[in-house]
Amino acid sequence: MVQANLDELSAALKTVQKELTSKFGKKLLETSTFRGELTLVVAPEDWIAVLTYCRDSETLGFDRLDCLFGNHYPERADQPFEVVANLTSIPNTTRVRIKTRLADGESLPTATGLWPSAGFDERETWEMFGVVFDGHPNLQRLLLISDFQGFPLRKDFPLEGLVGGRIRTDLKGKL
Amino acid sequence: MEEGSAFVGIERPKAPPLPDIDLADALKNPTDADLNRVLEGEGHIPGVIPAQLDRLLNFGASFSFWPLLFGLACCAIEMMSCAGPRWDIARFGMEAMRASPRQADGMIVAGWISLKMAPRVIRLYEQIPDPKWVLVMGSCATSGNIWNTYNVVQGADAIIPVDVYVPGCPPRPEALWQGLELIRDRVKQGKHAYDGLRTIPARVAIGE
Repeated sequence: MVQANLDELSAALKTVQKELTSKFGKKLLETSTFRGELTLVVAPEDWIAVLTYCRDSETLGFDRLDCLFGNHYPERADQPFEVVANLTSIPNTTRVRIKTRLADGESLPTATGLWPSAGFDERETWEMFGVVFDGHPNLQRLLLISDFQGFPLRKDFPLEGLVGGRIRTDLKGKL
Repeated sequence: MEEGSAFVGIERPKAPPLPDIDLADALKNPTDADLNRVLEGEGHIPGVIPAQLDRLLNFGASFSFWPLLFGLACCAIEMMSCAGPRWDIARFGMEAMRASPRQADGMIVAGWISLKMAPRVIRLYEQIPDPKWVLVMGSCATSGNIWNTYNVVQGADAIIPVDVYVPGCPPRPEALWQGLELIRDRVKQGKHAYDGLRTIPARVAIGE
């Protein structure tokens, strides 16, 4: 569960945590730590604001988006989906993980305006979980064939069998 | 060279003359019976070469089988070590893995084929000039292995004709070597997995 043991953080990460807490206050819904890593949860409407501040603040200086991906927790009935962004600061050598939780069908504004590399990550998150990113320039299938049916990393997607389509139907006209 | 070949010039008993063949007509449209007689060394039809030449060419081709340089997954690591100095398939003339399908004699499908990769595999297969042979390496390419999932082709034979299957996960280089020996046998015999009509399973399945 949520554990926030701020003592285990490094000095640089403590600065990050203080800075973000003083800036956003109650907008940081949760703060947790695990093995010296800092994780913050924000609401979807604050998603872009927090990421922009992380990138542009001189003390934080998170200039790189490591990766961005999704998660599916079907046991959370109201907010089953999660989008996670891992940020890295190359000058400060710090990392932080920013999460947001989404209801089924809720969309999230795109981060491609902040980091162009978010484009592929958001395409993958969309094709695997069905999380729509508003304003994404090219939200298409990335790793799967373009007319694939369904979102395979959702927990209710069947593990085996004829799902999403096989070679016989989905490659029609493409070979 | 076998006795009775048309090329060596070994004397053979003189065949009785063929009585009723109009040579001009036979050249245009030889019957199967005529062709068989020619192949057995009895008689001669202008323009028809007995098939012994194929054996000579296949014999030569079997000592320089050049696979396509094409690795899909972890089996490719074993394929590379097979090409390396320890197992050294250069001893059999197979070390020249061509990076272009137009220079290759065949294909080693080394690894699982994702649904997105399948059209590329088929295209590479089609770009290899005839005659061509396909060796499927490992459980994933043979049957999909444990990945009976949404994005894995369940066996390469669903999309292209396959000559030799090498089981294992991944197969040892010795196993790949034995598979290549079986390919060499097929090269010598002039056998192919595809039939005379050049059917490709995936195209048949989707009705093209």
